[in-house]
Amino acid sequence: MIQINELTKKYGDATALENLNLKVGKGEIFGLLGANGAGKSTTINTLLGFINPDSGSVQINEIDTVKNAQETRKLIGYIPENVNLYPYLSGLENLDYFCKLAGLKYTKSELEEFLSTCGLETKAHAKKVSGYSKGMRQKVGIAIAYAKKAQVYLLDEPASGLDPLASNELSVLLKKLAAEGATILMASHDIFRVREVCNRIGILKNGILVKELNSQDVSANELETLYLKFMQN
Amino acid sequence: MFQIIKNEWRFLLRSRIFLGISIGFIAILIVSVFLGNYQTQKQDQTQTNAKEHVRQQWVSIDEMNPHSAAHYGTYVFKPANLLSSLDEGVNSVTGNVLRVEGHVQNEIVHSEASQMQVVSRFGKLKSSLLLQYIVPLLLIFLAFNSVSSEKQSGRLKLLILQGAKPIQLILSKTFSVWLYGLLLLLFVIVVYGILNLQSLTSEILFRTGLFFLSYALYYFIISGLTVFFSARWQNATLALTSMLGIWILWTIFLPNVLMSSVEKWHQLPSRNEFQTAMDEDRSKGLDGHNPTDERTKALEEKVLKEYKVDSLSQLPINFDGLLMQADEDYGNKVWDKHFGNNRNVLQEQKQSFQLGGIVNPFISLQNTSMGFMASDNVHHQEFLLQVENYRRVFIKMLNDEHAFGGSKTGNWGKNADNAFFRSVPDFDYKPTQLSVVFSNYMLDLALLAFWSVLVFALILFGTKKIEIL
Repeated sequence: MIQINELTKKYGDATALENLNLKVGKGEIFGLLGANGAGKSTTINTLLGFINPDSGSVQINEIDTVKNAQETRKLIGYIPENVNLYPYLSGLENLDYFCKLAGLKYTKSELEEFLSTCGLETKAHAKKVSGYSKGMRQKVGIAIAYAKKAQVYLLDEPASGLDPLASNELSVLLKKLAAEGATILMASHDIFRVREVCNRIGILKNGILVKELNSQDVSANELETLYLKFMQN
Repeated sequence: MFQIIKNEWRFLLRSRIFLGISIGFIAILIVSVFLGNYQTQKQDQTQTNAKEHVRQQWVSIDEMNPHSAAHYGTYVFKPANLLSSLDEGVNSVTGNVLRVEGHVQNEIVHSEASQMQVVSRFGKLKSSLLLQYIVPLLLIFLAFNSVSSEKQSGRLKLLILQGAKPIQLILSKTFSVWLYGLLLLLFVIVVYGILNLQSLTSEILFRTGLFFLSYALYYFIISGLTVFFSARWQNATLALTSMLGIWILWTIFLPNVLMSSVEKWHQLPSRNEFQTAMDEDRSKGLDGHNPTDERTKALEEKVLKEYKVDSLSQLPINFDGLLMQADEDYGNKVWDKHFGNNRNVLQEQKQSFQLGGIVNPFISLQNTSMGFMASDNVHHQEFLLQVENYRRVFIKMLNDEHAFGGSKTGNWGKNADNAFFRSVPDFDYKPTQLSVVFSNYMLDLALLAFWSVLVFALILFGTKKIEIL
């Protein structure tokens, strides 16, 4: 579970986040929409414990990310816009390496199982990542979080640059993870993908959460109209 | 940490460029060790032949006046040291042949440099050149991007999220790069050991061990500092530029500036000044070839009194021999004074230069490398001193033969026989003791250790300020 209370972060005079309140429950997918510089990445980096807030609190499963960053990081799976893995290693070797760093030792078949669960074709497991598409790398990235048994997934622009098929596969995978009980926060520009995947949506503008709604309550077109209205005002 | 080191090495071994460069460089290293070894053995053989030839000439003298033999003199050769094939140090410029004769202490001649077409710092392919200049550059190129690439690609976040600590990451990357340097170093030493398997002694092994330790410490300093910069600076170019700047400063600029300064602080007299001062002091003493000299008269009176006779012709010995030895003894005192002074100045220069290691560990590396490989100035000065001691014994034997060999004063026609010339010992060089070498270079070794601890502390405490984002 993610809980953000009155989170404020400023860089000099610029306000990145202002009194942000957000709660994402277990099994829920929350979509954070916003333009560049709206504060989406700052929110994610604060959740990751890489940025200390000026005020407010951030908790993962009721553990404070500022005071116990090492603890909360164990619970988090992070998938950036570009999952840059080690290109000279195969997908399987990358997964093995990242798991070992987390102190997890899996057999080869277990690792292959994780990759397959996350949608990477078996024939790609042993191929070097340098030959992978962006979507394939993203699947390995999710497999790393999955193998870690992450309870919270933070995704920063995950669908950016993906072809429609890969994007759809990602949606299916995220829904599957949520169904298994994961808490997912996804920052994105992609209104239609967010509307399609997420249970709830928040619109962030200049560090302020200007609107929060259930995705079932709006169509994709209505969401786009609403988003544009907030952005233009 | 082991996982990170393993992953780093997996990258190195799977990179064709890296493997290509490494194989090429190892080939060059092998060539350099072979060349160094070949040159040392060739020099050793040439000198052994020349030494035997000169000795043969000496012991073949049927009969000759001892004083004429003192002027005839002999030659001593600086032995080619097996160790110096790894680092020739000052040997290429100091020369290796010295003429030993009466009345005068000659300068060493026939340096390798004097016979070369072009003398340059980077002129010869030597293992020490590659180990001191090129390997650190390789380590810099290997390490400058090691952490910044993780940062720029965003992998650093993932690594931290998986539980890796920045300190572990930086230390692991340092050890990976360091290990590469150690392997190259080990390669050189193993090839050297194989080439000289039959000549290896415990002293050579111990000296080589200390040589390895010095380079190992220096490589740690270079690797650690580069990886730290790679983590500290926001981009790799800045880390590379910083380290190349340090490399130039440490290896080219500072040693030259420091040596020039040290030579100014502790000035040796010019050759002309030195010779003039020697001649002046020498003129105050006996002149063995001038019987009218006042000091000669005084010695004559003293000897006559000692033998209780009235004239030189009544002496049972040849006074000329005593006179020559007295001349020699005085000359030796003059030499001791002036060369002793020069040795003191050289020692002061060495000590001041060693302190340069506080700001530049490369200086400490160069010192220990030459010192442990027996090619430094300490070994050279020790050789010169042994030669001079030999010269004194050699000339005294000839003068004593002239004085007590059965001839009377003024008889320059009395010759010593072949048995006498055979009885004159050959020069036998005693290598400088390891304890002496160690005491001379303990400071350099300590400074290298100090720098290593400093870099380790920099990584340990500086890592806290490293930005992950």
